[in-house]
Amino acid sequence: MWLRLRNQNKKQVYQYDKVAQEGIYGTIERDLHANIEKVRNITGNSADIVIRRFLLGKEENLSSALCFVSGMVDENMVQQLLIEASVQLSFPSTCCDQLDYIEKKIATANTTRRVKQWNEVFSLLMSGESILFIHGMQEAISIAVKGGEYRAITEPSTQLSIRGPREGFTESLGTNVAMVRRRIQHPHVRVEAITVGEVTHTNVRMMYMKEIADDNIVEEVRSRLQRICMDGVLESGYIEQLIEDETFTTFPTIYHTERPDSVAANLLEGRVAIFVEGTPFVLIAPAVFIQFFQAVEDYYARFDIATALRFLRILVFFISLVAPSLYIAATTFHQEMIPTSLVIAIAAQRESVPFPAFVEAVIMEVTFEILREAGVRLPRTVGQAVSIVGALVIGQAAVEAGFVSSVMVIVVSITAIASFATPSFAIAVSARLIRFLLMVLAALFGFYGILIGLIWMTIHLCSLRSFGVPYMTPLAPLIPTNLRDTFVRFPLWALTDRPHGITEETNIVRQGDEQRPEHNQETRREGDEN
Amino acid sequence: MKIKRYPFLIFMLFICTLLFGCWSKKELRDLALIIAVGIDKKDGKYMSTFQVVNPGNVAGATQRGGGSTGLPVALYTSTGDTLVEASRKASKQISRIPYYSHTNLVVIGEELAKEGIQQIFDAVERNPQFRPTANIVIARKQTAKQLLSVLTPIDKIPANQMIKTLELTEMMWGENVDTRLREVIESFSLAGKEVIMSSFYVDGNRKHSDDQNNVRTMEPTARLRAAELAIFKKGKLIGWIGKEEARGVLWILDKIKQTAVTVDWKEEKEAVSYKVVRAKTKVTAQLRNGKPIIFVAVKTEGDIGETFVAIDFTDPKQIVALEKVMQQEIKAEIEKAAHVAQKKKSDIFGFGEVVHRAYPKEWKEMKKTWDDKYFPKLDVQVKVESFIRRTGLRTRSYIQ
Repeated sequence: MWLRLRNQNKKQVYQYDKVAQEGIYGTIERDLHANIEKVRNITGNSADIVIRRFLLGKEENLSSALCFVSGMVDENMVQQLLIEASVQLSFPSTCCDQLDYIEKKIATANTTRRVKQWNEVFSLLMSGESILFIHGMQEAISIAVKGGEYRAITEPSTQLSIRGPREGFTESLGTNVAMVRRRIQHPHVRVEAITVGEVTHTNVRMMYMKEIADDNIVEEVRSRLQRICMDGVLESGYIEQLIEDETFTTFPTIYHTERPDSVAANLLEGRVAIFVEGTPFVLIAPAVFIQFFQAVEDYYARFDIATALRFLRILVFFISLVAPSLYIAATTFHQEMIPTSLVIAIAAQRESVPFPAFVEAVIMEVTFEILREAGVRLPRTVGQAVSIVGALVIGQAAVEAGFVSSVMVIVVSITAIASFATPSFAIAVSARLIRFLLMVLAALFGFYGILIGLIWMTIHLCSLRSFGVPYMTPLAPLIPTNLRDTFVRFPLWALTDRPHGITEETNIVRQGDEQRPEHNQETRREGDEN
Repeated sequence: MKIKRYPFLIFMLFICTLLFGCWSKKELRDLALIIAVGIDKKDGKYMSTFQVVNPGNVAGATQRGGGSTGLPVALYTSTGDTLVEASRKASKQISRIPYYSHTNLVVIGEELAKEGIQQIFDAVERNPQFRPTANIVIARKQTAKQLLSVLTPIDKIPANQMIKTLELTEMMWGENVDTRLREVIESFSLAGKEVIMSSFYVDGNRKHSDDQNNVRTMEPTARLRAAELAIFKKGKLIGWIGKEEARGVLWILDKIKQTAVTVDWKEEKEAVSYKVVRAKTKVTAQLRNGKPIIFVAVKTEGDIGETFVAIDFTDPKQIVALEKVMQQEIKAEIEKAAHVAQKKKSDIFGFGEVVHRAYPKEWKEMKKTWDDKYFPKLDVQVKVESFIRRTGLRTRSYIQ
């Protein structure tokens, strides 16, 4: 018995691939019946596997079978295919290679290919193609009639913009890739196909611009993607977690977006996009810190407005980071920092609060997080009820009951709104976590603690890397020309360089000289005089 | 079992933070916010009076009812051989930690001021909580406690009422000076500068000044009112200076921001008011025959505020003539102030410091006898330049 237990404790090696492939080795047989039996056996006679038997050809009547997964194929195309194959198709019985002839004659689908191996047959069948078995042939024809229902292209729900394209990615990989390609119509847009997930066989596309993207980074992304070996990859979040540089950080080192224009812009800056079948979120790597404060609208709006908004967002990030901890520190350690009349006002409100400031702040912050989480997960109709309960119970009743001071409610609200105003949800979440850490530090050491926390955060940020690119680029290492698109957004004509360190260094300039509008006019006027 | 070193270390560090955490933590509820401190001397001991804010009762600080019936401040008195002793002893009555960071006013009783205030500021300067920007005033003809036990109607916290009154009157009228703690302490270490402070006194019947009924009437029976300037010498109160002389002091100190000067015009006495909106004073020193001379150059700019006589303001000659009269008036004020100070042998203008800066070597000699020998006989030459910028909305008055 001990022996058996010990054997069980022994670490198992991942071998799903082998298990899954077992029994589907071998090639297709000549006998149609045997082939159909094989398909039935392997799929366990699943209800959604359709095997349609029919007679092929106008005159010959070769008995054959079309095999596909219902729902994953375009029903119309299948129908048309059947009509074509059984009614219209005629071929000379004495021809050299009948199979080759049939394959070439089928015009309904874009691509057809001949398959011989069973494992190949099944992987194509599962990916949504139809397999045509013909009696007496040792090969089958796989016909691409992929289709089925997908969500329509709608406005992205997480990254809204007032100005800019309204379309967002969908769950369909092909549509997503096409949306980006439509924006960059250049043959240098490279799309590499990788299949990830030993069971799910998820299609993944890696997209980058040849010549602009740094080859080393592209190779790094490719090798990290190929390293993945697990059952399933259901969302780009799986891949993000498997290929990111640092797991133990609250900061995201890979950017994700729902907007095709954002992907296009990033490709033009030499980044690599990773599309995953079945999710509208596309990953972009390498990502740097400041990228999470750049909204697509920054580039569509004029530079002064964009700059003002960029400042606001960075300010807002800091507010969402430190507001509650500043409150704790100021009211428990540094009462001298608050103006006299304000300290009296705060003291008056805190008079009836039975908790220390830290406990009060934690209670309120946690309550808010609960409310937010509830609001996210609840059906939309119930969501309203949550907000009413939140506003009344937390806002008003708690203050009136004297559990919390109204200053605290103000602090929590400003923090919450600030965190909503952060353009990237990923960075807002990391601020949420650090906020609690800073609150603890503030309760222990006051402003000194907050400062220690922020210094730690800065050091940590500087130590991070995303696919070899320092996370704080272009601030640390300092790249002056790229500073034009950090805290301020210079006019478009001044953004001459693609990001150094990410883009291929030999191809760094992205626009011609004299893009400044006045400049053009001057030269034109001079020309007129001549 | 091998423990992973790195996470373990972090864990240990975190545990350490809990060991010494929060030692300087003070919840707002546990603080007695002392807004004003009064210092008197009684039977050879210091008597400190603390005006403590009762936040719940400060109007506007709380929106819930119930608090409005109470008083916004409470008064505590405690005595001790030193101020620190008195402050610590106060804990016998106050349930919260005395907190001096928001102490914006220090009141000194006249008796104590005459005895000397030099000693009391050491405790104040040593205490990290105390602000060097706290205002300091003398209680005229009263004890500090009496001054602090008056309830005020508009600014509910009496200390605030005093501070704001002081700041406003310095800015609008210029007979009082808003002296800060830092300036007082500084003056103790400078030979050529004596300090002046404003004084306050309780006007009216002060019998029930600390009763809430005092603020229930339209004209409170007991009112706080700014009074003369106190002249100090070597940390001791030696006299008072008020009215025009007091303003003269502020002219020299370059503290006049705005004021109103009323002058005679021809036969009419006190006929025209000149609203000063901008003023600048420069004090320089020169050494002639080993004797220092002080030059006071004042430049003012202002409007005509009021006139009782018919003056044609469209005539530049009239304006110039008026400016002359004003210059004389201001000059007279300044000279009177200088005269008073010289008689008291107290260099409240800091002329000694001016000489010090201009003639550092000679000053070393003069320093010892400055107050007795040089300052009282100092030649102060005043030059005033007044300028009438505007005459208000009218050029010709309806008075003909």
